[in-house]
Amino acid sequence: MTFRTTEFRPMQYAGIAGAVALAALLPWLAPNLFYIHLATLGCINLMLVLGLAIIARAGQLSMGHGGFALVGGYVSALLSMRGWSPLLSLFIAGFVAAAIAAALGWIILRLRGVYFVLVAFAFSQIAVLLALDMSSLTGGANGLVGVPPISIFGHALLAKPQFYPFALACALVTLGLTWVLYRSPLGTMMAATAENQRLTESSGIDTHRVQVIAFTIGSGIAGFAGALSTHYLRFISPDSYTFWESVSYLTMLVVGGRDGVLGPVVGVLVLTPLPELLRATEGLQHIIYGAMLVLCLMFVPNGLASLVQTWRSRQRVVRPSAAVVAEEAP
Amino acid sequence: MSMETILVQTVVNGLMVGMIYVLMAIGFTMVFGIMRIVNFAHGEFYMIGAFLFAILYGSNELPFVVSLVLSVAATALLGLLMERIVFRRFRGNELNGMIASVGVALILQNSALLLWGSSSRTVPSVVSGVLSVGGIVFPWSRLVVIIGAIIAVVSLNFLITHTRIGRAMRAVAQDAEIAQVQGIRVDIIFPVAFVLGVSLAAFAGVLMAPVLSVSPFIGLAPTLKAFVIVVIGGLGSVPGAVAGGLLIGLIESFAGTFVSASLSEILQFLVVIGVVLLRPQGLLGRKEREA
Amino acid sequence: MKRLELVAVLAASVACSAARAEDSVTIGVHASFSGAGAAFAQGMLAATDFAAEDANKDGGLDVAGKRYKILIKQYDDRYRAQDAVTAMDRLMIQDGIHFVVGPMGSAAAVATKDQSTSGKIITMTLAFTPRALGADAPFAYRPVITTGEFSDPQVAWLMKNTPSKQVVSLLPNDETGQQIGVANFNSYTKAGAKLQVEYFERERVDFVPILTRILMKADGLELGGNSPTTAGLILKQARELGYRGPVFVTGGDVAAEMLKVAGKDAAEGTYVHLPIDTSLPDTAAYVARFKAKYGPNMNGFSPFFYAGLQMLFTAMKKAGTVDDTTKIATTLDGLSDVPTAMGKAGWTGEQKYGIKHQIDLPFYVGQFKDGVVVKVATCDVNACR
Repeated sequence: MTFRTTEFRPMQYAGIAGAVALAALLPWLAPNLFYIHLATLGCINLMLVLGLAIIARAGQLSMGHGGFALVGGYVSALLSMRGWSPLLSLFIAGFVAAAIAAALGWIILRLRGVYFVLVAFAFSQIAVLLALDMSSLTGGANGLVGVPPISIFGHALLAKPQFYPFALACALVTLGLTWVLYRSPLGTMMAATAENQRLTESSGIDTHRVQVIAFTIGSGIAGFAGALSTHYLRFISPDSYTFWESVSYLTMLVVGGRDGVLGPVVGVLVLTPLPELLRATEGLQHIIYGAMLVLCLMFVPNGLASLVQTWRSRQRVVRPSAAVVAEEAP
Repeated sequence: MSMETILVQTVVNGLMVGMIYVLMAIGFTMVFGIMRIVNFAHGEFYMIGAFLFAILYGSNELPFVVSLVLSVAATALLGLLMERIVFRRFRGNELNGMIASVGVALILQNSALLLWGSSSRTVPSVVSGVLSVGGIVFPWSRLVVIIGAIIAVVSLNFLITHTRIGRAMRAVAQDAEIAQVQGIRVDIIFPVAFVLGVSLAAFAGVLMAPVLSVSPFIGLAPTLKAFVIVVIGGLGSVPGAVAGGLLIGLIESFAGTFVSASLSEILQFLVVIGVVLLRPQGLLGRKEREA
Repeated sequence: MKRLELVAVLAASVACSAARAEDSVTIGVHASFSGAGAAFAQGMLAATDFAAEDANKDGGLDVAGKRYKILIKQYDDRYRAQDAVTAMDRLMIQDGIHFVVGPMGSAAAVATKDQSTSGKIITMTLAFTPRALGADAPFAYRPVITTGEFSDPQVAWLMKNTPSKQVVSLLPNDETGQQIGVANFNSYTKAGAKLQVEYFERERVDFVPILTRILMKADGLELGGNSPTTAGLILKQARELGYRGPVFVTGGDVAAEMLKVAGKDAAEGTYVHLPIDTSLPDTAAYVARFKAKYGPNMNGFSPFFYAGLQMLFTAMKKAGTVDDTTKIATTLDGLSDVPTAMGKAGWTGEQKYGIKHQIDLPFYVGQFKDGVVVKVATCDVNACR
């Protein structure tokens, strides 16, 4: 886990500040609203991928990530349509998703990795099914239309250039908190659990609890991001987050890299605009997604971000090689 | 229709669907037991088997047996290719193997979409007519599926328990390292197990094609079912897959007939949670060693 | 904003590419080219392609003395609301397009409605949801006939001409299915019969469990709203279960595929909705044209979009502009009895949607007799005869 042990230098602070400033100034720099729209989607995707990354940090993989985003989206949409402030309902959405994850995680995380994946996957399918079936509440397959926009001090974020700074702020806060989490004792325990669960367990750490907490935090972020996206598009339907959405977040994470906070950023930057290059084609974009996933795992298993790190460490003293991909012994 | 007729038909239908799930789940659980790979692309091989059969038997009107053998063989070949190129690199690496299989699923499903189009197609029935026993009718087309699946399961069981390669496979499933020490060529066992699993999926696809319809999107549902079944039956356990498959098939059939289709899905999920809570190793699974 | 840019470019009168761009009109096609709806998207694209071909054949569309070449730009929305919004944004903002064939799905239409209205984009949707049209969306049109139009007259006619009273219906549990289920339920109630609607998950291909239950006490089976293959499959499985009662398919263009899937014997006697009348020479010509270029499986909605574009082009000529969409929409609203490939078309829907943006075309009821579909009634939104 090189990223964790890396101390930032002034140069890097400058780089980060520059990148943030660039992102913040986008509404003035971008040639048109379409780019702002893409950037907003990128912010939402980044939050979802960070959520997934936190779960992966503790050595688990959630194939039900979209399911939690769906839950969050519906919770926030329904509350705000009943007069709650969207700003408040966003957080409630995150909490509800987190609570479900905590309960589900407590049950299924007692099992070894693969079972967890299967049940999380099944959960997301059930979430879609419930959204379809409870049509008196969820509007069924038609979804919910006219979800209120987020408003801050009575000012509704309706237009794209107004919404974007809010989305960017949310994404940056998530990014910052993830970074803090990774450097906290809990983050260390998570990484240790991923590296070798049995060894960590024998050193007195309750790895089950660590994983449940990671799953809860990550899914809570997914719920929040799903709600954010719902207030942005002002619409949600059961088709908004299906299995294939979970797969695309996973792709972003794997392509970017699972080890630090840089990986999700790289993954989102590379893969959010990608569908636009291929939008006029039919089906090809999914094949390219799949191929990138497989090729990345084969040749750059630690993601594109690891290339940057390898390059950097080669520049300096020889460091311990990048951590092996989190994996449990069979 | 009388109540008995409905009951018997519900059972027959549950058995048919259940046997298809059994075929899917056995292949899935075998690949996991031996290679330690959760194969999200498993259902795509089912889809490809069904599609090839639809083309050979439905469109080109080749004889049934020829179409069946060709479809399964071609899918098996594709499986071998995938094992060589992708899966073998990830054996033993559960997390990355699983992610890679998602990538393979994306590639296979969308290649089928580009190649064969999105509209679903149907295959003419292999047999028609009904079997009438004591006033209760069974469509032959469905009985054929059950019979075919039983033959496949029985032969597989023979292969596993009575042949050298089968014994070697079981040894590898138990402990690959020890098996290797004892002179079993693990390198051969892996592709054999993978191809066998894929062939079972393709065979299930061929059996179902004439009864149902074929499109590039039919693979995900049986994959999900295979997951549910192996969690219920115990990951890596073949008898567990049989029991779990029949259980899920019957739940689906009875809930679908007497209550509603989506209730049966929710019911299945609850069964999974229940099993995980009460019997984490699965109904018939061995207890996993502590990881 | 886009127009200001254009004016600026013109004023500077630079690059010949800009001059050429001025003489063309781009039609966006916004549909689900990947995924289960791809056949519909293909039909929409083909219609746009043919309409453009027609216009470009004689040097381009003649508007106010100028010839405009018709170009096409297609985007895939992957059947997702988020992608639908993105694709619409791209068409509007990035490509500066004023006319869009689509959105295709109901979710996409609803999610992009405000967006395209504020951008004054003329859209031609396939979405069956009543919410796709409305007084709040003065630029949204629907060139296809939906359940809202054909359900009432057809069901009334069928309930008069068959003995069925207890009808059951199987529909996919998605937006289209749920909409049709509600519309059909109301139509059957109005016709004095009872309809029980049963939904199944979209991926389901085995209907025997559901059929076993619902056919117990039914004397009619309604399959309208299912894809042709699914409708055929359900019919086949119902007949295998021993169901002998009447079968109605009051929606979609299912006849050919249904015959193929269910077989001649199972299909015999089934009443089907016929969206197009191939005895009309223009319609037959369109079908033949489609076959020659795109293969035999024409999506039944394709000629409707062609007719819709014929109307749009007529309106553009009449309004004498290719970029003042407000003027074009007003002109389009006023059109009636426009000769199209589907017969004379106009607009209806004021009562139902609060705006006259629903295409008005006749449709038909057919019945299988000896493996051939025979037209048994001709309908409009009021009644079938």
